[in-house]
Amino acid sequence: MKERNLSLGGILLLLAVLIYAGVLLLAPVVALISNTFQDGFDPFWKAITDGEALGTLWLSVRLAVIASMFNAIIGVMVAWVLVRHNFWGKGFLNALVDLPLVISPVIVGYVMIVLFGRLGWLKDFPIKLAFSWEGMLVLTVFVSLPFVIREIQPVLGGMGKEQEEAAYTLGASPWGTFWRIIFPSIRHALTYGIVLTLARSLGEFGAVAVIGGGTQGSTESATIYIYRSLNDRNYAGAYSMALLLGIISVLILIVMNNLRVHKRGG
Amino acid sequence: MRKWFIIFTILLFTVSSFTQAQENEVTLTLAGFAVPREAYGKIIPLFQAYWLEETGQTVVFEESYLASGAQSRAVIGGFEADIVALSLEEHVTRIADAGLITADWQDNPYNGTVSTSVAILLVRPGNPEGVTDWADVVGRGLEVITPNPATSGGAQWNVMAAYGAAYRGYVDGYSADAEGALQFLTALFTDVLVLDADGRESFLTFERGIGDVAITYENEYYAGTAAGGEYDIIYPTSTILIENPIAVVDVYADKHGVREVADAFVAFTYTPEAQAIFAESGFRPPYERVLTPSEVEGEPDVLTLVPTTELDEERFPPVEDLFVIDAFGGWAEVVPTFFGDEGIFTKMIAEVKG
Amino acid sequence: MAQAVAQLDSSASQARSPQIMFWGLRLSVIIYLSVMILMPIFVISVQGLRDGWDVFWTSITRPVAWNAIWLSVWTAGLMAVINIVMGTTTAYVLVRYRFWGKGLLNSLIDLPFAIPTLVTGVMLTLLYGPQTPLGGFLDDELGIKVLYSQTGIILALLFLGYPFVIRSVQPVMIKLDAAQQEAAHTLGASQFTTFRRVILPALLPAMLSGGLLSFARALGEFGSVVIISGNIPMRTQTAAVYVYSQVEGDKMASASGVSLVILFIALSTTLGVDYWYKRNRERSRERA
Repeated sequence: MKERNLSLGGILLLLAVLIYAGVLLLAPVVALISNTFQDGFDPFWKAITDGEALGTLWLSVRLAVIASMFNAIIGVMVAWVLVRHNFWGKGFLNALVDLPLVISPVIVGYVMIVLFGRLGWLKDFPIKLAFSWEGMLVLTVFVSLPFVIREIQPVLGGMGKEQEEAAYTLGASPWGTFWRIIFPSIRHALTYGIVLTLARSLGEFGAVAVIGGGTQGSTESATIYIYRSLNDRNYAGAYSMALLLGIISVLILIVMNNLRVHKRGG
Repeated sequence: MRKWFIIFTILLFTVSSFTQAQENEVTLTLAGFAVPREAYGKIIPLFQAYWLEETGQTVVFEESYLASGAQSRAVIGGFEADIVALSLEEHVTRIADAGLITADWQDNPYNGTVSTSVAILLVRPGNPEGVTDWADVVGRGLEVITPNPATSGGAQWNVMAAYGAAYRGYVDGYSADAEGALQFLTALFTDVLVLDADGRESFLTFERGIGDVAITYENEYYAGTAAGGEYDIIYPTSTILIENPIAVVDVYADKHGVREVADAFVAFTYTPEAQAIFAESGFRPPYERVLTPSEVEGEPDVLTLVPTTELDEERFPPVEDLFVIDAFGGWAEVVPTFFGDEGIFTKMIAEVKG
Repeated sequence: MAQAVAQLDSSASQARSPQIMFWGLRLSVIIYLSVMILMPIFVISVQGLRDGWDVFWTSITRPVAWNAIWLSVWTAGLMAVINIVMGTTTAYVLVRYRFWGKGLLNSLIDLPFAIPTLVTGVMLTLLYGPQTPLGGFLDDELGIKVLYSQTGIILALLFLGYPFVIRSVQPVMIKLDAAQQEAAHTLGASQFTTFRRVILPALLPAMLSGGLLSFARALGEFGSVVIISGNIPMRTQTAAVYVYSQVEGDKMASASGVSLVILFIALSTTLGVDYWYKRNRERSRERA
């Protein structure tokens, strides 16, 4: 579609979109910012440099980083198998990849307890997954599972298998083929997927609240901290942390947008 | 490649930062319901100082505060809390039924109750709607706020307070029996606007300017006014005594080897200094149930409730008809008959809002 | 593909290690996806149907449960419809016109992907609460209550779903055949007719798949809805919040039952999207 200068109809459409996006997206953000800074900058600074708050943010960041790295590695493998291999039930498996996006995180947290809790079906599992950070990590991996896969799949599909096969014929190892042929092509899509995964992991609330138990100082993530601060009337703490997570999200957004330009450029 | 090496190093670092080791310390995990967080926040440092002086041991506390029912379910599911401080006796009973509390946790002079409060009505400053008792709340189009009994132990206290007041004949216009009490409850919940997940959230909703009357607790009123909130408290003529239990989770405490210090902490919460902090946070002390033979021959004994510490009547005024959950057979009976899937309340709320 | 690789391998000097590796890889991927995704579904199914079909049926047909499911479905559905209209318009404006601040608007759209839904809930209470200027105005002057009403739920879902349609329509729009449009234009068709006859049919699959994805995503939304919905059974309690209250109330059977229904609806929608995609691809291939 060709880009044009605005016509009269275009101005009207643009206005409608701007009002809609403004009310829907921008107004809530403005409300949050004005509430955070209503008593100046100091309460915000004090709230985000508070040891407890930083601890929860640190936990969230660690969970998000580890989950993203894990999903990046596994995601590439899954995407490659789903694109290059044919096997019975592939279509079904492929459709299931989106499930973590639609299933309610609370129920997933509860499933984890049914499986790994004290009376769980797998209660003798060697790693303690209920009410521990390891359990929170597994759930974070789960809720952000589709992003990397869904970003890489079209790229791999579009690339075709000829190059890979040529590399094998010439005697390259699978590992070498991956680094020389596949990786350079999927690099941008992979990074974009990781960024989406990071954003999603950072913001998870329902699932980690159920599985972690929300113990202060050990299994309290940044989002649980926001929830608790609201209940404790620590509004400065809650709004500041919400804003901080928002700022991190926007930074992630900026990265995302640069990548989108790259992706389009090939 | 170097970039990926750096990323990998960061990853290793983040993973390794999870591991922690401590020596010469003992860690106690406390699972509490959301409301008394401030009070425990003050009691814990006192106990830590006391225990350090007594034994030379440092106690590190891991605290978790969630809705009471959630906490109970988590402990049963494997959240290894050494001590539970919950809102409903029944939530502790569930843990005991799961085999995690082996001792008779109610075997102390306080019946296992560490703090109490009473269900009250909260109105806007100056009481613009002229609410003076339960009967004024219903049938006038007022918007009522109370938490959801499905998730909140506190909400179940509220429901039983209203039901009990009507049942005992303290709500004008409703007969003093099960039928009249249910009618009153139905009228009350017809006017309910928001059913938040727990007691504190419900209070904050009212604080945000929603609703005309909130059914809440005396201690929440004091916590709210201390934080600068403005509202008036109305004591109904008849209301329920809310008893919050505390107990050591024997199996977990033994597993962690912290029985001694866990028992000591529970005992510490009954000391005058700890009780003074509870009072400061707006909680009443445990009440003793005193049975006196009835003056009329053949009638059952008369139950009187006596606070175990003398009350400051300015702060904690006596209630004309104060009753306990025993009046309806205790929580073990009330929970299934009122709040089960086919319970009286569960059915009523579906009809009222349908 | 596997056969092709195998043939290549046998002709190559390097034995069959890649083939074994690929089989291993395929197996691990299948196992991984099954454990991660099928396991939860399995657990929920077992929990929901453990006490028999009758108990499952009662647990989902109980008025409170049924109304929660219905509320989730119709609010998510209404959201998807509004979202398809506004999302397509937004994408059209973004692709079609040059204007100042376009880059900013384009970045802003991804905001709901990035912002934690809990923060969304907090932001909406700050914006529409009765003590805020906007909330006060809406309530006092217009009699519209946003918080603790179905309006609030729909608003939260609209926030959440906004990027889905745009991001699915945008790439298709960019590739749309400019010549086709110009031709229609030259033949005297008005801009609207061009849109209706040429652009819309080409976009429809992308619009629908974006809309359905946002619908499926909104069905299970919890973080923002739990804060602003008011949680009144039969009126503002959505399925996700109902499931939460059942889990907290230790009523696992009915929590699982309702989850299963929602899962079924969501899964059929995603499978539907998949089907749409495939059919559309085949069609466009036929045309070409």
